[in-house]
Formats: sequence, C-alpha cells, structure tokens
Amino acid sequence: MKKFNVTVNGKSYEVEIEEVKGGATAAAAPAPAAPKVTPQAAPKMTVTPKAAAKPAPAAAPAAEAKPAAAPAEGEHAITAPMPGKIVKLNAEEGQQVKKGDVLLVLEAMKMQNEITADADGTIKAYNVLPGQNVKAKDILVILG
Amino acid sequence: MATVQEKIEELQARQEHIEAGGGAARVERQHARGKHTARERLEMLFDADSFVELDMFVKTRCTYFGLNEKDLPGDGIVTGYGTVNGRLVYAYAQDFTVSGGSLGEAHAHKIWKVQDLALKNGAPCIGINDSGGARIQEGVDALSGFGGIFFRNTAASGVIPQISVIMGPCAGGAVYSPAITDFIFMVENTSQMFITGPAVIQSVTGEEVTQEELGGALAHNEKSGVAHFACADEAACFAKIRELLDFLPSNNLETAPSVEPTDDPDRQDEALVSIIPDNPNMPYDMKDVIRHIVDNGAFFEIQELYAKNVIIGYARLDGRVVGIVANQPRVMAGCLDVNASDKAARFVRFCDAFNIPLLTFVDVPGFLPGVNQEHTGIIRHGAKMLFAYSEATVPKVTVITRKAYGGAYIAMCCRELGADQVMAWPSAEIAVMGPSGAANIIFRKDPDKEARTQEYIHDFANPYVAAERGYVDMIIEPQTTRPLLITAFNALANKRETRPARKHANIPL
Repeated sequence: MKKFNVTVNGKSYEVEIEEVKGGATAAAAPAPAAPKVTPQAAPKMTVTPKAAAKPAPAAAPAAEAKPAAAPAEGEHAITAPMPGKIVKLNAEEGQQVKKGDVLLVLEAMKMQNEITADADGTIKAYNVLPGQNVKAKDILVILG
Repeated sequence: MATVQEKIEELQARQEHIEAGGGAARVERQHARGKHTARERLEMLFDADSFVELDMFVKTRCTYFGLNEKDLPGDGIVTGYGTVNGRLVYAYAQDFTVSGGSLGEAHAHKIWKVQDLALKNGAPCIGINDSGGARIQEGVDALSGFGGIFFRNTAASGVIPQISVIMGPCAGGAVYSPAITDFIFMVENTSQMFITGPAVIQSVTGEEVTQEELGGALAHNEKSGVAHFACADEAACFAKIRELLDFLPSNNLETAPSVEPTDDPDRQDEALVSIIPDNPNMPYDMKDVIRHIVDNGAFFEIQELYAKNVIIGYARLDGRVVGIVANQPRVMAGCLDVNASDKAARFVRFCDAFNIPLLTFVDVPGFLPGVNQEHTGIIRHGAKMLFAYSEATVPKVTVITRKAYGGAYIAMCCRELGADQVMAWPSAEIAVMGPSGAANIIFRKDPDKEARTQEYIHDFANPYVAAERGYVDMIIEPQTTRPLLITAFNALANKRETRPARKHANIPL
C-alpha cells in the first residue's frame, strides 16, 4: 500500500494505491467526487480515496525532520528553490505575514538565502526545522 | 449616374461599416471581458491621431462553405502604421469581433504586407494577437498564411525590433509568431498562449488545468519564460510597450535613442559603499546597486518574474541606453542555472543585434549543481551565455561586485569573452572556486589545514590576483562606479570589432 497526495483543482486528497499481483480483476471502487485516477495501462490498482488531508498538526516531536504537511484548499506551499540546509525560521506557525516577509533562511551555494512569503497570509505550518537538509522543491512552509 | 458627392458618401458608408468591426453586440461582449477592440488598441498604442490604416477593404477570396458571402469587415484584422513618441512603428491588431479574429488567407496577407513594409523601412513591427486561430474553412490557405508570417518574423529578426502583444487567445500554431519575435507582452486574466488547450490535454494525459493556469500571463512570465511582461490591464500594457520602444533603435543600423541627461554624470553615490554585506554569505539586492548607478535610478526590467537569479533590462547612463545583465544574490544565491542562462543569453544577443552596449554586474557563486540541472542540459544552456557574450561586438563593460567564481565568472562576460573594460569593487573575490572549497582540495593532506585555509582566503579571495594579471583593469571604490562607467562607455562609443565572415554562427540551442 503506497500513499500519495493528489491535488485536484487545488484540493488535496490522500490516496492509497495498492498494486494487485497475479492479474486478478480488482474491483476498483472510485468513490464519487473522487479524484479521477485513470491508469493508462497495467498495473491494476485499487483506489481508496480518503477525505482531504488537512496539514498534519505538528504534534509529532520531530528529531531532525518534521512530518511533511501538504497544502489544503486555500493554502499553498512555499518550496525550496534549490537544495540546501535550513539555518533558521524567522516566524512562527500561526503568525500573520505579508508578501515579501522573510519566512526562513536556507543556506545553499554558501549563501544565506532568504525565503520570503509570495503573498499575504498566515503560516499554517513549517515543514522543516533548523539544521535540516532539504532538496529542491521540498515544501518548506504552508501559507494560508 | 452617381455624382462624385454620392461616390464619396458611398466610401464613407463603407468605411463606417468596416470600422464598426463585428458590430455593436460583439464589441460590447469584447468590452465585457475587459478587452478592447482592435482599433481601440491601436489608438492606445500610437500617438494621438497618428495611425494610418492600410488594406481596410481586403476580403477573403475563399469560396468554400460560402465564406465569401459572409460579411467579415477587414477580414478580422486592422493593419497600418503610425508613430510612438514620434517614431515610426508598423502594427497589426487582430479583431476578435470579426469571426473570432480567425486567420485566413487575406487576413494573413494583410499581416505580411505590414511585416514587409516594416522591414523595408527599418521600423519596429508590433503584432496584437487576439484570435481563435486558423480559419478552418480556409484550410491550407490559412496554414500558408501562418507560414508566411513566421518566415517574415525570422527574416526581420535582428533587423527590426519585433514585439508581440497577446490580448486574448493565441493558440496552436499561432503562438509561433510571437515566439520568434523579440518581446512578448501579456495581460493578466485575458490572454492565453498554448500549443494544445486544456481540453486536448485532459483527453490525452488526463491532466486537469484551466486556460489561465496553463497559458496565462503568469504561467508564461513565471514558469515557462515564453513571455517577457505581464501587465494588469491593456492600458498598462500599451504604456509599457511605449516605454520599451524608447530604449530600442528602430533597426539594426541605428543606435538606441539618447535623451538629454538630467542626472549628474559625476554623481558619486555613497549608498553603494554599504550595500554589500561584510559577510560574503549574506545576500543583498543587486537591483539596489543598479538603481544607485544608472540615470535617475530608472531601471526598466525585462522578464522580472522569470529566472529571478539573473536580472536583465535597460537603463541609461548619461542619457545613453545600456543593456544590463546582473546576477541577483538574493535569489538562489545568484547562481546560473538553465533558465537564467537562456534568459540572459537571449537578451545579450538582442542587445548585440541592435547596437545596445552591455553592462554586466557580477556576483556569481557558480553554476547551480544538481542532477536535474545536469540532465536538463546546463552544459548546453550555460554554453549560450559564453557564446552570446563572445559573439557580441557591442561595447561590453563588466563590474564585479563580489563573487566571481569558476566557469560562471567566465560566463558573466570576463575579459577573455571580450569585455572591453572590467572593473572590480574591493569586495570582489575572483577565483577558480569558493575559497574554502579550493583550500580543501589544495591542502587536503596538510596537517595544518585550518590555518592554511585562512591564509588562502586572505591571499586569493580578493580582486588583486586577477588585477595583477590584467584580467581586471581597475579596482574601484563603489561610489565611483557611475562616473567611471560613463567614462568607459564614452570611450567605447565608436568601438568597431569584426568577426570572420560566415553565413551565421551555430549557437548551442
């Protein structure tokens, strides 16, 4: 069973996909209003869409990485422009920020890159902690 | 027999009918969408009362499906010429109120005529696109029309500036005329460009996307890099086009128009001294550096939203136009990647084609490392920077403000790529790579590595090594940059440099 986040029309769904071995005709049960998952060819899959995943509350005490939250409807993600290391977080979850405010500092190419808000909003979640290494396009912050 | 007066009245009646385009109802629908008609747009583009219309009475010759029986005023397009801030410009505007601005044979031939005239007369050509695409009833004649437009766009490339304005749909093959031209303007929410629309994409790949997400102004200004300007509305768009034209010569045999300077050429700006942070790992805004140096702090940026790690645009120094290319340390450390290389290289080639001197500001830590970059061809794309700068014969002056490392230093118009003058600020670090990385390699077996590294940084992370070899002509105090640049460009005003005769070079694409 593999979990995927599927975003349809800006709405995020958590989808579990299981590969069916042996060619059994698995009765795919796409629920109504579910994201349209149309596998072009084999493997066959059972698609069990679950309700839209709200960004996971930051309850889990992360050691060096935090559980990744995905943006829900009306929210959007700020992603890492390039691989690097988080130096510090400049705001807190729940804080109001303005477009252009520095959300965090990402050290990459030996530069303290300031990652800024691309719109006014509230910080719904930080997906990273200082000291954590990130890859390009990793979600750093959820802004709502 | 009709009198002359009656004949004149007939002419007036015919003109009035054609000028009404697709009729009041369709015009109203166009306005309701926040769009203007073709004629209104040309009014906004040109100086008041300067527009002269051509080919008003042209009609389609297509007899299929009774097309010649239909009333298609102007065949869905308005063409002609006029002046922008007093200078001759040719233009055409597709009329969405007539058959959806669709392109048929006669429609295309009107465009061809304007393109030919613009080229012969050495004046910029501006195309305002608002069309549903090929007029299907006209079949292969419509395709022939497109082909002829692309051919003329290409023939005129580098001879006259060509500007495309997207003010409605521009889909399928129609996108390739704008793509060949020099600058593409789009209007937010009312213009879209794509090869295949959302419906086809959904049926083929299953991806769901709206027209605006797929090919709107922001999609092409931020993501694809197809467009150069995203404007809030049509009036703002035409104002921007008029502003751009003021920086461009009318053709490749002229120089860009100068203005009477209103800023002191000897102005020394003390603010430049404190812009660069003491810590080389801290970013700063290169646009601040540019604004403190150029005339009146006025910088006309191009592709502001795309590949923001490199900055391109026009400004004036003592009234004369310069094209500026600069690294932006605030975005991705200012490193060069695939998109930044494409953006800068195309700009350099435009400036070279149109005799616009190049001013390069360097603060570059290198090319962006990464599997994705390598596999998307940073070698091929980065090569365009080297190629474009080497090929350019316009005056080239380079100012190194801080980091200038490795291959990226070369790519940012170093001496060997033909820079006529290279200046460095005392904060410059011109080196084969970042000093700690270099020391790590040189002293990897040295027991006293830490001390050696500090020595290395002191000895090599500076502009003096390069200046001792003449790679840098002068090390200057930041506040003197403006007067020194003006002196340098004045000295280079009559620069002549030739390359071996050839059909054309083969730039890596």
